[in-house]
Amino acid sequence: MKSRPSIFLGIIAILVSALVFLVPFAFIILTAFKNKQQATLLDFSWPDGFHLWSNIVEVVTTRNWMMVTAFINSTILTVASVTLLVVFAAMVGFVLARRKTRWNGLIEFLILAGLMIPPAVVPTIWLLQGIGLFGKLHGLVLIEVAYGLPFSIILYRAFIATIPRELDEAAIIDGARPFDVFFRIILPLLWPVTVTNIVVQSVGVFNDFTNPLYYLPGNANATVQLTLYNFQSQFNTSYNLLFTNILLITIPPLLVFLFFNRHIVAGMTAGAVKG
Amino acid sequence: MLNKTTRMLTGLAASLLTVTALSGAAFAQSVNLTYLIPSGPENQVIADEVVKAFEAANPDINVDIETRPGGSEGDNLIKTRLATGAMADVFLYNSGSLFQAINPQQFLVDLTNEPWQADVQASFKPVVTAPDGTIRGAPARAAMAGGIYYNKKIYEELGLSVPKTWAEFMANNEKIKAAGKVAVIQTYGDTWTSQLFVLADFFNVQAKDPQFASRYTANEAKFATDPAALRGFEKLQETHDAGFFNEDFGAAKYDDGIRMIAMGEGAHYPMLTFATTAIAQAYPDNIGDVGFFAQPGDEADLNGLTVWMPDGVYIAQTTPNLDAAKKFVAFIASVPGCEAQTRAGGASGPYLINGCTLPADVPPAVTDMLPYFAEGGQNAPALEFLSPIKGPALEQITVEVGSGFRPAADGAALYDEDVRKQAQQLGLPGW
Repeated sequence: MKSRPSIFLGIIAILVSALVFLVPFAFIILTAFKNKQQATLLDFSWPDGFHLWSNIVEVVTTRNWMMVTAFINSTILTVASVTLLVVFAAMVGFVLARRKTRWNGLIEFLILAGLMIPPAVVPTIWLLQGIGLFGKLHGLVLIEVAYGLPFSIILYRAFIATIPRELDEAAIIDGARPFDVFFRIILPLLWPVTVTNIVVQSVGVFNDFTNPLYYLPGNANATVQLTLYNFQSQFNTSYNLLFTNILLITIPPLLVFLFFNRHIVAGMTAGAVKG
Repeated sequence: MLNKTTRMLTGLAASLLTVTALSGAAFAQSVNLTYLIPSGPENQVIADEVVKAFEAANPDINVDIETRPGGSEGDNLIKTRLATGAMADVFLYNSGSLFQAINPQQFLVDLTNEPWQADVQASFKPVVTAPDGTIRGAPARAAMAGGIYYNKKIYEELGLSVPKTWAEFMANNEKIKAAGKVAVIQTYGDTWTSQLFVLADFFNVQAKDPQFASRYTANEAKFATDPAALRGFEKLQETHDAGFFNEDFGAAKYDDGIRMIAMGEGAHYPMLTFATTAIAQAYPDNIGDVGFFAQPGDEADLNGLTVWMPDGVYIAQTTPNLDAAKKFVAFIASVPGCEAQTRAGGASGPYLINGCTLPADVPPAVTDMLPYFAEGGQNAPALEFLSPIKGPALEQITVEVGSGFRPAADGAALYDEDVRKQAQQLGLPGW
């Protein structure tokens, strides 16, 4: 039974959130339809003509089809780093939640430090150069994994604490070895948190701008966020192409989000109750 | 059972590695030279054309263009890549004080004895000279100037003529305002645009006080106490106090500014001349209506232009292809090089390479610049090329003065204080 004022408030909340989220998106779409002269005005107006297709062609073919390379690179980067993140974070979370040792305090401090201390660029590059991974895609995968790991571990650890220990014990009695306990019993039960991790981390990695900029120099290594700079500079910006580019590179994270949408909130709150 | 899972794991890890490794090989282009430029459509177009012309002349060398962000993010990137030895073979970067900040002696190749240096105009060489006296760069673009764009249609309509003195300029503004139009466009939504009245006034400072730059560096002359230097701040305040600005001057952006001057929504816009290219791209039908003059001083016979030196091209010492890189830089600093730039981006100003000429059909705003260069002695480099000191807060201070929150003298004194911090950081003697 809902009273009239609460329905009324709900409608207002929906309208406000629609305004906050849909209006900027509508602005992006409208600007992507415009030609350069009209786009420069940056106003909320109906496009004078249909320029979307020519804008898309120009954005995709700019700089020798850089956009295609960028999409391939970003896809590999995102899939590889999120896969490693999920596997490693779940493993660390499992061990941390199940095995109490006197090292736990130190390990948790290190995880928190990883969240709080900002990474330094130049020493990281020296390290990468030392192990021959600088300017290579797998080097950046390792960096994204390192930067994303603390957050994922914290999510997993809190959730694993809610899984009864009896499940592991039953599996061990049935003859399962440690890896079997983890991969066959625990990992499937972690699905809600895994979905959250996949969504949050893949959107983060896909949208990352500064790490590819510093750690992956070179045209062949471009990622999608770097293509934005093809159309933007301090003194002269092609807003129609810039917004078309934004539109194109917003679609993949949007799909991921829509696809996993139902699981996200469930996963976020799953580990929150008991820690 | 354990074996099965471990095999599965190793398989997964191995396939991930192969996927990432493959992509590295499959999309790497076989290149000899990399050329790093600031991003943006017009930079891209010009670099493409220069590279195309160079590759046609040198079929054995292949140049791959990379882009980087502009502004302070770009400064960080350049320093990071130089410090880590990951710089592109050839790169485009500011000359003058920013050039000094990247430690040219340590990171850049010495180009003093290259044969093409003979064709580079003498005024450019000091701004790419390292502290040890060696020249480490070549001019990459056309020279720019700071001054005032004006809308020719409004001038014709009201029967005005180009002002030679500040008093004439203010009289013109009065008439434009009386006709119900915006006399002076200001765009403090992009704060850097607010500095132009002060920075572009430097020719007039120099004309009154030729030693100002060196005395300023030695902490002997101050904006607040030198009457000639203070005029820049006063001019900004005068135009604000007379109510000449557009109504939305506090929120308008640089992009609005070039639209207003091109479409005749305002009569004057103090700006650097790189805006000519932007106007030509965004408003090709109106570029003929836009003219340009130097910021007038107080006396008609001391009328001249404040010039900004173009960016330089440099070779990183880490390059494995030094000969090819030198050929490329030599091409950029040659007549075919500047012709390629003009073909791609149109002419935005005079080149600093002997023998480079501008085509006949350049926009009027460019033609208006040429007399200041032709007759000699009527232009001077901006202060930031003569002195390493430029306070970081100038744009905030000029926004305050231009918005009427702070009187000119007060603003100049505050700027002197801002400059002191920077001079001390640089460790200059006398501070």
